[in-house]
Amino acid sequence: MQVVLKGISKVFGKLRAVDDVSLEIGDGDFFTLLGPSGCGKTTLLRVIAGFYPPDGGEVYFGERLVNDVPPHRRETGMVFQNYALFPHLTVRENIAYGLRVRKVGRAEMDARIGEMIRGVRLEGLEKRFPGQLSGGQQQRVALARALVISPQILLMDEPLSNLDAKLRVAMREEIRRIQKELGITTIYVTHDQEEAMAVSDRIAILNLGRLEQLGTPGEIYFHPRSRFAAEFMGGSNLFEMRVLSCDEAVPRLRAEINGFPLTLKARRPACDRAYLSVRPEWVRLTEDAGEDVVEGTVESATFLGALVRYRVKALGGHVTIEVHTPRSEDIRLEGASVRFRFDPERLAILGD
Amino acid sequence: MPRIVNAWNGVFVLAFAVIFLAVVYPMFTIFRASFVSPETGGWSLESYRAIFHYPFYRRCLENSLFVSVVSTALSVAIGVPFAFFLSRYEMPGKNVIKTLATLPLILPTFIGAEAWLLLAGRNGLFFNLFQKVGVELPSIYGWKGIVLVFTLQFFPYVFLMVSAAINSIDRSLEEAATNLGAGRLRVFLTVTVPTVTPAVLAGALIVFYLSIENFGVPILIGEDFRVLSVQAYNEFISEMGGNPSMAGALSTVLLVVTMGLTLLQKYWVERKSYAMSAVRRPEVVRARPVATLLMWLFCAGIVFTALFPFVVVMVSSVTKTSGPVMYYGEFSLENFVKAFTIAPRPIVNSFFLATVSTLLGIVFGLLVSYLLVRRRGKMSYLLDALVMLPLAIAGTVQGIALAATYNTGYIVLTGTWMILALAYFIRKVPFSIKTTSSLLEQIDKSVEEASINLGVPPFRSFLKAVVPTMLPGIVAGAIIMWVTTLAELSSTIVLYYGPWATMTVEIFQRMGSGEFGPASAYATILIVSVLIPLFFLQRVMGKDLTTAL
Repeated sequence: MQVVLKGISKVFGKLRAVDDVSLEIGDGDFFTLLGPSGCGKTTLLRVIAGFYPPDGGEVYFGERLVNDVPPHRRETGMVFQNYALFPHLTVRENIAYGLRVRKVGRAEMDARIGEMIRGVRLEGLEKRFPGQLSGGQQQRVALARALVISPQILLMDEPLSNLDAKLRVAMREEIRRIQKELGITTIYVTHDQEEAMAVSDRIAILNLGRLEQLGTPGEIYFHPRSRFAAEFMGGSNLFEMRVLSCDEAVPRLRAEINGFPLTLKARRPACDRAYLSVRPEWVRLTEDAGEDVVEGTVESATFLGALVRYRVKALGGHVTIEVHTPRSEDIRLEGASVRFRFDPERLAILGD
Repeated sequence: MPRIVNAWNGVFVLAFAVIFLAVVYPMFTIFRASFVSPETGGWSLESYRAIFHYPFYRRCLENSLFVSVVSTALSVAIGVPFAFFLSRYEMPGKNVIKTLATLPLILPTFIGAEAWLLLAGRNGLFFNLFQKVGVELPSIYGWKGIVLVFTLQFFPYVFLMVSAAINSIDRSLEEAATNLGAGRLRVFLTVTVPTVTPAVLAGALIVFYLSIENFGVPILIGEDFRVLSVQAYNEFISEMGGNPSMAGALSTVLLVVTMGLTLLQKYWVERKSYAMSAVRRPEVVRARPVATLLMWLFCAGIVFTALFPFVVVMVSSVTKTSGPVMYYGEFSLENFVKAFTIAPRPIVNSFFLATVSTLLGIVFGLLVSYLLVRRRGKMSYLLDALVMLPLAIAGTVQGIALAATYNTGYIVLTGTWMILALAYFIRKVPFSIKTTSSLLEQIDKSVEEASINLGVPPFRSFLKAVVPTMLPGIVAGAIIMWVTTLAELSSTIVLYYGPWATMTVEIFQRMGSGEFGPASAYATILIVSVLIPLFFLQRVMGKDLTTAL
């Protein structure tokens, strides 16, 4: 089922929690709403679920306008952040709840619950109460309860945030597996960019209620379109840059960062004041000299095995550099002078 | 080498000794007395046989159960909707209604009974007014009056427990049900009701317990409708010498019932709670104006009916009286003048006894809490069970047990003020222990260890590093102990003697002899003395009565 949002706004008092957001979510997509807390992602999800009537805009499921459809008639399956399992019902009864509402026959109910319990690997726990389950098990029950009604759309509100780091990784893979198997349109809310990249087909980054950027994980990672997107997705060195001149033919861009001259292999941005975003792993240590090479001093070096992370004093500020799969001779000590250049293939220049 | 003789072991011994002397041994004494034949002095089951065979005694048990069941049912019927309306709907003056609704909990029940007698008893204000226009009001005496007073004073327990439950269940539960396709009624019936049910049961159990243990209301308003607590008192006090065996047997029966209820509470109800650390409380909705008005009328009406009688008592205290005849509309301070000049002793007694027993309670409560929380083990488990025992014993029974135990023998306390202080102390100390031990649970042991590590000995570390952080909670607990002690009647009535009559005794006796004016004056002093500390608690410390629940 395709989901289309047209100009959705939601206001709480003076706060514009969601501000004119338009999106199209394709059938069978795993779509993630990503952003820091307070960015409006959960509000938007709840508008889709029908818990908040939008103050402006339209929500379509397929061709159908659902603005006036009450939440219990929207046929969405929702997984809540705290799971919201019914504490007075067993695992089985929790999963059966939605089927009972739909007056599903006994035989079919048994079959569907059985299949679901196997699908999320909860065999043997049917008679337990939620209070007797671990966090991961509760998570599976919540997922099973939402999926067993065969919803058109699966909505997940930070479903993994209450689990520990290891379980989070295992569960997100499982969620992705189940979603693919069922081919169900999924809208997933998270503030964790790594989680978002790991599971999503497409991601919408939200900030202060507005849609910041929309794209596949790769598009957003490699081509952030705003400072916010660049910083939020994967962390970045961000420099304010003044364009001095540009030779479009080569191309060669001469610019100045904090008074330090720098030459980049890039085209002229829209305006003379721009931001340069360089991810730490896009900075290359080098021995060469040249107009695109920058000199600096290592302030701290953190060796993590698979990578070394340096904080280097350069360009009138600090630059974070990551060297992946380092050789032992690559490791520089604190106080050492280094030279580096920005990987010309992969820098992002943001017109603010 | 482990040191056997350290301060905390000493406290253990002391605590056990106090509980043994004040609770276990006296209870054993009346239990034993119940098996002694009043005629022959030998062992017999005569008294128990009498309770279950003679209609007179059997009726007492039935009456007790009857008023308790009816009062509980009505308290639930009022308390549950009350909680729902106030927790989930907007309504004008909501916070005022909430605050006022908790007051009946702390206002003495027998003053409630007194108030209803002033209103609807023979010669009562309403009784007379209605009679003038030729309407005969239904009699307030007997079970109807008892049930009325119990319901109006105890429904707040149901209200508070249910409100707490409603507010501790995350909004997402109902949303999850809605998302799965359930309509509003279905969500209410299949999610809201079941999750709140344990709290309803818990509240109902408290109301039932308080109703069956109560003494002041049935003795004032019950007349010929006798209940267990009243009859046990009558048997013990009887002017014809009293029947310790029968008093013991009736007390034992009452004890079995109250114990049973307490165990039920501890092992069944307490385990069935669905409270979660609610992230988002249920939504407070604005209903349609007509519905809002109806809900408001219900809540405000109940609160008004519960509190209006107490206002009448206060008005009566400044009204000209002669015996049972009240001249409403004619102002007079005579009752107060009499209370303060001619008979001020009961006022002094009440304050003195409440203060002494509260101070004892604070110290004992603090020490025992420490043992329970920090010295966990078999001994502390036993101590926990023992110190909570008085909660399961009706005041009358406790009074009878203490009076019967300490009137002869090595320790003679009956007829002194000390036995009153002891009774108050032991009856209220469980509240102090509950509040302080839950405070102590929240303070990490490392705070003390840090102090010890810096060179301060263990006991002093506790006093210097832990107690100060607990102080606000201790004060709150002490205030609640003090005000409830001030209002104590059921054990006082058995234990007091002449010069040590308290305000509660004075009110009780003057009501009995038809001196409504002076009774109202003492009752007003009592009401004010209870409300002022509570006002302080609420306004200055930002806590309320629920601290002690």
